[in-house]
Amino acid sequence: MNENRLRGIIKARRLHLWLPYVCLMMVFVQARAQTGAMVTGIVRDVEGRPLNGVSVSLESSTLGVKRNTSTDSNGIFTFSQIQPGDGYELKFSSIGFKPKVLDGYRIGNNDKLSLVIELEEALGELDEVVVVGYGTQRKGDVTAAIGTFRPTEENSRPVLGPEQMLQGKVAGVNVSGGSGAPGTQNRVSVRGIGSLSANNEPLYVIDGIPVLRHNAALLNMGENMNPLALLNPNDIESLEVLKDAAAAAIYGSRATNGVIIITTKSGKVGRTAVHVNYYQGMQDVSDSRQIKMAGSDLYIEVINEAIDNYNVQFGHNPGDANYMERKMNPYPGMGDTDWFKAVTRTAGVKNANLSFSSGTEKTQIFMSGGYMDQEGVIKTNRFQKVTSKLNLSHSLYDWLAIGTNSNISYSRNYRVPGSNSGATIMGRAISQRPYDRIYKPDGSYYKGGTDDLLRHNPIQVLNEGNAYLDNYRYLGNIHATAKLHRDIEFKSMVGLDAIYTKDLIHYYDTHPYGVGMGRMFDNRRLITNLLLENTLNYKKSFDKLHFTVLMGHSFQKVTSSSAAIDGQGFPSSSFEVLSVAAEINDAGTSLSDNALESYFARTSFSYNNKYLLNLSFRADGSSKFSPDNRWSYFPSVSAGWNISEEDFWNKDHGTDLKLRTSYGATGNQEGISSYAYHAQMSGGRNYNNQSGIGVSDLGNNTLTWETATQFDAGMDLSLFKGRLGFIADYFIKNTGNLLYSRPLHATTGFTSIVSNIGSMRNTGWEFTLDGNLDIGKVNWSSDFNISFVKNKLTSLIGDEALLIGSNRTLQVGHEVGSHYVYRVLGIYQHDEEVPESLYNNSNVRAGDLIYEDINNDGVIDVNDRQVVGSINPKFYGGWNHTLRYNNFDLSAFFTYSYGNDVYFSYRTFIERLGNGFFGFTEASAENRWVGAGTSNTVPRAIYGSPWNTQNSTRFLEDGSFIRLRSLILGYTLPTALTSKIKVKHLRLYAQADNLFLWTKYSGMDPEVTSDFDPRFLGEDNLILPQPRIFNFGINLQF
Amino acid sequence: MYNQMKYFLWITLGVMLLPSCGKQLDLYPYSSVTPGNVTESDLEPLINGLYNVVQNRPGRESYVMFDLVGGNMINAAGGNQLVFINNILRPEQGLMSTAWNGYYAALYQVNNAMESVEPLPDSEKKRRLLGTAHFFRALIYYNLVTRWGGVPILRVKTEDKLPRDTEAAVWAFIEEDLTAAIPSLPSFATGLNGNYFYLSQEAAQALMARVKLMTGKTEEAAIWAEAIITSNQFQLDDFSRMFRGQDNNEVIFSFVNLNVESSVNLSTMFYTYAHPVGGSYVYKPNDEVLVLYGEDDKRKAISIDTYEGLDVVNKYSSGQAGTDPIIVIRLAEIYLISAEAQGMAGLPRLNGLRHARNLPPIAPANETEYESAVTLERRRELFAEGFRYYDLVRRGEAVETLGIDPSRQKFPIPENELILNELMTQNDGYN
Repeated sequence: MNENRLRGIIKARRLHLWLPYVCLMMVFVQARAQTGAMVTGIVRDVEGRPLNGVSVSLESSTLGVKRNTSTDSNGIFTFSQIQPGDGYELKFSSIGFKPKVLDGYRIGNNDKLSLVIELEEALGELDEVVVVGYGTQRKGDVTAAIGTFRPTEENSRPVLGPEQMLQGKVAGVNVSGGSGAPGTQNRVSVRGIGSLSANNEPLYVIDGIPVLRHNAALLNMGENMNPLALLNPNDIESLEVLKDAAAAAIYGSRATNGVIIITTKSGKVGRTAVHVNYYQGMQDVSDSRQIKMAGSDLYIEVINEAIDNYNVQFGHNPGDANYMERKMNPYPGMGDTDWFKAVTRTAGVKNANLSFSSGTEKTQIFMSGGYMDQEGVIKTNRFQKVTSKLNLSHSLYDWLAIGTNSNISYSRNYRVPGSNSGATIMGRAISQRPYDRIYKPDGSYYKGGTDDLLRHNPIQVLNEGNAYLDNYRYLGNIHATAKLHRDIEFKSMVGLDAIYTKDLIHYYDTHPYGVGMGRMFDNRRLITNLLLENTLNYKKSFDKLHFTVLMGHSFQKVTSSSAAIDGQGFPSSSFEVLSVAAEINDAGTSLSDNALESYFARTSFSYNNKYLLNLSFRADGSSKFSPDNRWSYFPSVSAGWNISEEDFWNKDHGTDLKLRTSYGATGNQEGISSYAYHAQMSGGRNYNNQSGIGVSDLGNNTLTWETATQFDAGMDLSLFKGRLGFIADYFIKNTGNLLYSRPLHATTGFTSIVSNIGSMRNTGWEFTLDGNLDIGKVNWSSDFNISFVKNKLTSLIGDEALLIGSNRTLQVGHEVGSHYVYRVLGIYQHDEEVPESLYNNSNVRAGDLIYEDINNDGVIDVNDRQVVGSINPKFYGGWNHTLRYNNFDLSAFFTYSYGNDVYFSYRTFIERLGNGFFGFTEASAENRWVGAGTSNTVPRAIYGSPWNTQNSTRFLEDGSFIRLRSLILGYTLPTALTSKIKVKHLRLYAQADNLFLWTKYSGMDPEVTSDFDPRFLGEDNLILPQPRIFNFGINLQF
Repeated sequence: MYNQMKYFLWITLGVMLLPSCGKQLDLYPYSSVTPGNVTESDLEPLINGLYNVVQNRPGRESYVMFDLVGGNMINAAGGNQLVFINNILRPEQGLMSTAWNGYYAALYQVNNAMESVEPLPDSEKKRRLLGTAHFFRALIYYNLVTRWGGVPILRVKTEDKLPRDTEAAVWAFIEEDLTAAIPSLPSFATGLNGNYFYLSQEAAQALMARVKLMTGKTEEAAIWAEAIITSNQFQLDDFSRMFRGQDNNEVIFSFVNLNVESSVNLSTMFYTYAHPVGGSYVYKPNDEVLVLYGEDDKRKAISIDTYEGLDVVNKYSSGQAGTDPIIVIRLAEIYLISAEAQGMAGLPRLNGLRHARNLPPIAPANETEYESAVTLERRRELFAEGFRYYDLVRRGEAVETLGIDPSRQKFPIPENELILNELMTQNDGYN
């Protein structure tokens, strides 16, 4: 029995590991002499060394058996004379190792069972390694605010990009989505709004390479696409969020909005594993989230009321030139069209992943492949990707190691017009008149923009065109590490992030934009991001003092080269190349580049593990600034005190406490063009096919870095031997020299110039609480985090308020992202209440909105706008629960946000009530004002008056929400069962994402936004909501 | 071996860390050059750049703005004319700021071109550039003053915040510029070989005639107009040629507005998605315009059309697919200027135009009848070419004809400009 297996094991093992097996054999030999069932085995660590003194218990609750033993110096344990029966469990535990349970064993008379058990080392919480900039640190030595998330089977969510996994998981980090379309851009903000320009995204450092967060799409289809969606979340080992200046300053000029370090998986010494993950599922928009529009009868009633009100108010009688005729349903008795249903579907998804990992002392390897095929909820929308990964490191000599991290990926995205497109599917579907129809009786489309159909026919838009976005990405590095001296290590790395994009839109001749003959846009772009980096590490200990030094130099250059062709005139829709086009409307190429050179250093001191000090410094020179202002310097200092290491601390309670504080500077250079400081005379201003030039840019020689200084004070508390953890942080972040495209009076010839315009302050609290509790056989673990961030603009050039768009402002003393609109005080119930000037000049009557006239001048104009809310939540966070019982795991993950106001701008279209003939919501129609006392919130129906749809608090809504972000039920098959088919681990799970949303918001999803610019966030122009997802999956490990 | 490699590495390390890559940080744009160092060879591209910017920046609606607010066109979705006009004439309306910003953006390029060639020695090209710039500055200010009244006059580019100049000062500045432009521009026949896509002396003279008429200097207007007409360089020609991109003898100056160089696609605003050429059908001719032309009028079919029951403006025919030339000034307008400026004495000019359009001559009984005949003919002839609103305003007929508030005879200064320049004042009636 089992000799074959043992022989195999012995062959495979190194010589010094034979001995315990020989001993084990001897145990078997002895056991043969005895009677009854027996279980014996050897326990070892992941590198194959036998473990002494491991507690082993053999239990069967059904039989009421419980026996304990422990391993001997050879790692061997034995139970003999076991009562036969079902439901046996073997539990192994040892200090410093993760406990392990084998279950589901049936032991028969005289069965002899032998097992080989591997225990994984459980690092003490303080010994865990945390990834920091350009290296790692023992958690106990960390003095900065760093949030970590490690994806596991139990907490995984079906996301496209790795950064989405952070949603609700790390205090101070807020992730919000652009829309429910697959591959869409989302926004990650660390500690609130950090800059005024661009997306103020954190810097992503993937496998050591700082990468750009650009728009993955080239052509505007109404929403931006996420370049990180090209990566495979399954390859991620951990995500580290560097939140305070002490952590982020080493990334200098790009770190103001935080840094997210993404570390991918690598092979582990002595552990060979093959993982297979697969899930399949579907997604849709739940009925409860859909917007209910008025049906035909109600529509006709309200429209005619609006027309009557107009005719009466302006005294137009039948026969007058300006008399408006009433409307009627042109298709009586034919039923309404459900426009939303017509453009959406239940979308399918498939996702498969395979990975191999293995390692020896000299070589570690991790390789993976992934495939995903996800349909969008809007018809024809589909996202597919293929990813592959190789992480390899090899020691050539004991002093020299080389390696590579490589990601190669491809994605194809069949896009549909998003909410910022003129053909936005959602907007063009929902705001149609309810009785309008998609197809004429002869089967052809009703065409939009005619009396037949007010809006584009969204089905025609979807079916009569083809748009796809291809992205190819290589993201990787090769590196070599040399031990130059016992304490000195030199590492050199070359990294490359190369992305090739092809974005194509083909409007068939039958598409509204098809110009009657077919039109095609074909854009290509190659972005290369090249990094050269050298670092030197020095480590030394003198008695109780440990210190490390890191010094480095890096040079990074980003080049973007693109080509665009626009042509028209295709013989038929099946031609997919522009060489066929009868006419080229436009063709051109462009090229731009920018470079960053940096020197950086960090030193850390730890005295007796009690007193910690870290200093870091970075100098950055950027090609984006004129030589005079090119270099900037970003220092930081942080200190920590492990109080629980002090002699007076009683460690018996299992309590650890650390206090830490930091101060430092970070910068920002994103959101300005590569050549912003140059005044430019550009070509391409041609006339009559002759080349022309003109001034394109004023240039700003004084432009300089945006710099933030940040103070952070924090506390890490761990109670009851780590069963309860508590982390608190307080920060003050002052950002100065804010880069901004400052509006200019147009007589200058320009409407804006990039300038350093002001400063702002973010202050906030972050709390994280995690607990782990055994209640009988149930293990409950919970993580809760909450963040309170306050933003305030503290200065602006000239302290003058800037008007941003039509409903925002930048004002000293107010938040960035303040909503700036008229405040609605109610509704005039009687004509006599209407001020005379409004009655005469603006045709305001009873039933119209009362806007607050701040300056009491009898006119409602720009001077009456006021700050009435903010896009920034008062607090936000996430709460995860995981329950484990026997082989079941159940986790429920909630995210929440409170106090963020959403401007639902599309309500100005779908609550017009007769100012124009678009469809309107049932709620607005039913609650409209129809006479004194009938409503104080929804105005009357009136044709031809824009009064009630001006930007006002009428459309500003509370976007607070709690979302059941994820609900997962998993079942792990008993080891005894799976080991029979040579499977180490098999888990089946069912998952629902976005199952419930509790919110007062009247739109479909308060968490999406039409714009990622911090000044414009929190605007809903009828965006596809995040879908509800149901998946079934399997995790397999061989 | 080990030691050798280690020393090699130490040396490599030193080499890598010591020198800076500083020079690598000096990066320059690939599609532009530094302004200021303009040479002789830049003159031609600079001139072309001016045509491009003046053509494109004011935005497509600016070319038919006076038809939109002048009671010639209305929202394609229908509705009320007055509601439509009042909706456009709002300080926060995007059409206001697009045009305002666009004219001043074009002006910046014009002034910049004039300033940057200053150091160059006199040459034919330089004179032509200056002539072009003076003409365009006059054209820009003509567009500004007829919309907003008195606006800041910029003789040189500046970032200073400026107050408004008076309406009279702007008109005077326009005349000054045209006076400077005329001698510097090439002649139409010999200098340009009859290519009306470029500016000629005659174009500047024609614009001068227009300016004189609009400022009430009728005698001068008539003289300038007659000079053009009697030069016989231009002939009244067919609409089917002028508005279908054919060669013709009537146009004095037109922007070529080629598809690849243009952002002014007028026709897409006028056709429906159901129409063969396609369009987004934003504006349509109003009911008055539909009955404006008699059946014999050769202008009718080219000016308006009804397709599948929908009324469309038909003067710019390329639809979604392309762009059409934008005529700035043509002989028919000069006929009408002459006819209007001379009073009854101009009747031959009016009838001459009518004849060309296949209409019988008329014999008005008195000045009033004559004036309204000229006005009507002007409306028919210049429909969808951007005249009607200011024609009504300058003749004092806008309030009555359009039903607008008297304050709506000027456009509102865009909201943003008022906020950003505290010296700027709003036109009466908008605040």
